Amino acid sequence: MKVLLVDDEQKFALMLAKRLSLRGFQTDVFFAGEQALKAIDEEGRRYAVGLLDVKMPGIGGIELGRRIKALDPAMKIVFLTGHGSDMDYQVGASEADGYLPKPMKIEDLIDTLNRLKDEG
Amino acid sequence: MIPTAKDFLGAIWPPFRHKDDALLTPYYTFHDYRQIWGMGIFILMAAALLPLLVMTLIYYQLTEQSIDREAILRTERVASNARRAVTYFLEERLAALTFTVNEMGYDRLTDPGRLKEVLSNLKLGFGGLTDLSVIADDGTQVAYAGPFNLEGKNYSTQPWFMECKQSSACVSEIYLGYRDVPHMVVAVKSLRADGRFFILRATLETERLIQTLDSYRTGEHADIFLVNHAGVLQTPSKYYTGPDQRLTLALPPYSERTQSLVASDAAKRAVVIGYAYIDTKIAATSFILMVVKERAGMMKVWLDLRHQINWFLAVSAVIITVVIILTSTFMVNKIFHADREKAKTMMLAESNAQLASIGQLAAGVAHEINNPLALINETAGYIKDLFLIEDRYKDDTEMVEHIDSIIEAVERCGTITRQLLGFARHFDVQVQPINLKRMVDDVVNFHKKEAEYRNISIHVDIPESIPLIETDRGKLQQIILNLVNNAFQAISNGCFLDIRAKMDDAQHVCLFIRDNGCGISKDHLNKIFEPFFTTKKEGKGTGLGLSITYGLVKKLSGNITVESQTGEGTTFMVRLPIRMEKEIPS
Repeated sequence: MKVLLVDDEQKFALMLAKRLSLRGFQTDVFFAGEQALKAIDEEGRRYAVGLLDVKMPGIGGIELGRRIKALDPAMKIVFLTGHGSDMDYQVGASEADGYLPKPMKIEDLIDTLNRLKDEG
Repeated sequence: MIPTAKDFLGAIWPPFRHKDDALLTPYYTFHDYRQIWGMGIFILMAAALLPLLVMTLIYYQLTEQSIDREAILRTERVASNARRAVTYFLEERLAALTFTVNEMGYDRLTDPGRLKEVLSNLKLGFGGLTDLSVIADDGTQVAYAGPFNLEGKNYSTQPWFMECKQSSACVSEIYLGYRDVPHMVVAVKSLRADGRFFILRATLETERLIQTLDSYRTGEHADIFLVNHAGVLQTPSKYYTGPDQRLTLALPPYSERTQSLVASDAAKRAVVIGYAYIDTKIAATSFILMVVKERAGMMKVWLDLRHQINWFLAVSAVIITVVIILTSTFMVNKIFHADREKAKTMMLAESNAQLASIGQLAAGVAHEINNPLALINETAGYIKDLFLIEDRYKDDTEMVEHIDSIIEAVERCGTITRQLLGFARHFDVQVQPINLKRMVDDVVNFHKKEAEYRNISIHVDIPESIPLIETDRGKLQQIILNLVNNAFQAISNGCFLDIRAKMDDAQHVCLFIRDNGCGISKDHLNKIFEPFFTTKKEGKGTGLGLSITYGLVKKLSGNITVESQTGEGTTFMVRLPIRMEKEIPS
């Protein structure tokens, strides 16, 4: 299962990518929304799930998610954010398929990914 | 409502105090309402009563002066009239004697028969004559007509004789004489043919003079009498007779005209005296006519009037005072209550502002901390991954435990920061119609298992008449969830939870969540919406639940209040608008 991870917090992104790889998810990491869009749009890369940080310089996570959906409607989008909330309902705030507040338990992330894999 | 004694007391002596004054005091505009109240009453009373009192005093003075003047004038007039009567009385008799003396001459008058005839004629004309006598220049009585045989008696040492010798006529003082009857002597001098003088003397009864004087006595405590220059009473005085027939009043100073003055009597009472020194055209007399009236008696009418005015003044003053006190109390009370409301609002606004700024600060800090926290979390997680995957570390369980404790600590920090962020959510409020009953039922369903397990009865009473509420679903759900959670933590097994709703007015709905748990103490009650305030054991609660709830209710343009009795339970009341404004400040 191919996973896209976009986060401007580089160390966090790399660390999370390593952990996902250890769990069998092939993860591509980008530190900015523009790079990720370029990879999808120009290089034609495809991912099952996109893990997007909401607050990033340049294209923000919500906007990035919208554009990715436009390019690849089949791709699932999960937001990660430091603007955390313990409320499930806020997932509905965007058209996201999932929502995880940072810091999150790796188990929760894996559960979400597995759920989306099952749905997809 | 029937006013009670307490209401009445409050209307004239308002308390200007309330139980929660200590908290509100810094927010009051005025601090000493008692002083403002007192000053208001004092100024109004002074403004209303002072002119009234001054006018009354001026009126008193003017009226008193005019009545006084009037009394003096009246007394003077009486004295003047009486003087004329007395003068006339004496002059008439002196003129008759003068006429007789000049007409008849010494020789005819010394004829006893003729003298008797003259006496009876004079008696007919004037009355009050006792006798007539002719006295030679050596003082010997040479002829006498009258009831007593006094012929040959010598009068040369009598004062009236000596006086008569000096002038052409005289009037004696009134004296008792040989017969012990008050009488007076009038005498005229004339010359005989040989150039020696003789005197025709008449004795007058004073009864008629006294009667004449009495007829001028008017009014209560009025006195009229004659007194001689030495202060000896000549006619009886009703009130001013002293020992030896002396007048108890001071003699007024000499004046040619009738005069009046105000003096005081022996008992220091003010008296009005009208007086005249009596002189006839023919002879001088030693009489002073005095009319004496007690001033208080003359002022009686005025005193009666003053009594009425005083009553009127007192009643008006009482009415004015009562009206002023009631009005001042009412007005100052109004200001006090308005100020109290203002103080309450200011206190609320300040605590709101405090909560809001704490919330913003907390959210800012939480957000900044979340990213490094996430890095710690992932790094520690990665290390744990390595430990679990790499064979050489597999058996080192102690290391894995250490890493787990790092991850647990991070998780705990994450919980706190997430809750802190609840203060200042950057997510938009999404307004949608919500069925309050269904939402409460959903929330209660979450707790069904726990309620059954703990034997807690949950009673929901939300009438069908409550309309759909246009508000943010998630936030409202969170509010209800937090409050129900809170209640579940507060109550012990076997207690109950009561959730009710009612329309507050056409635009607002009130949701009550009541438990019969441990309650909240008064000290804690005004702190429970403050962040990090918790009564739970350390590590058990973050102290953020209710402050987040508070923030959420505010976001939905609502109010949350709490009432609690220690040991009896707690009621949270959430008041929300039926239709929420879409423009919400983030």
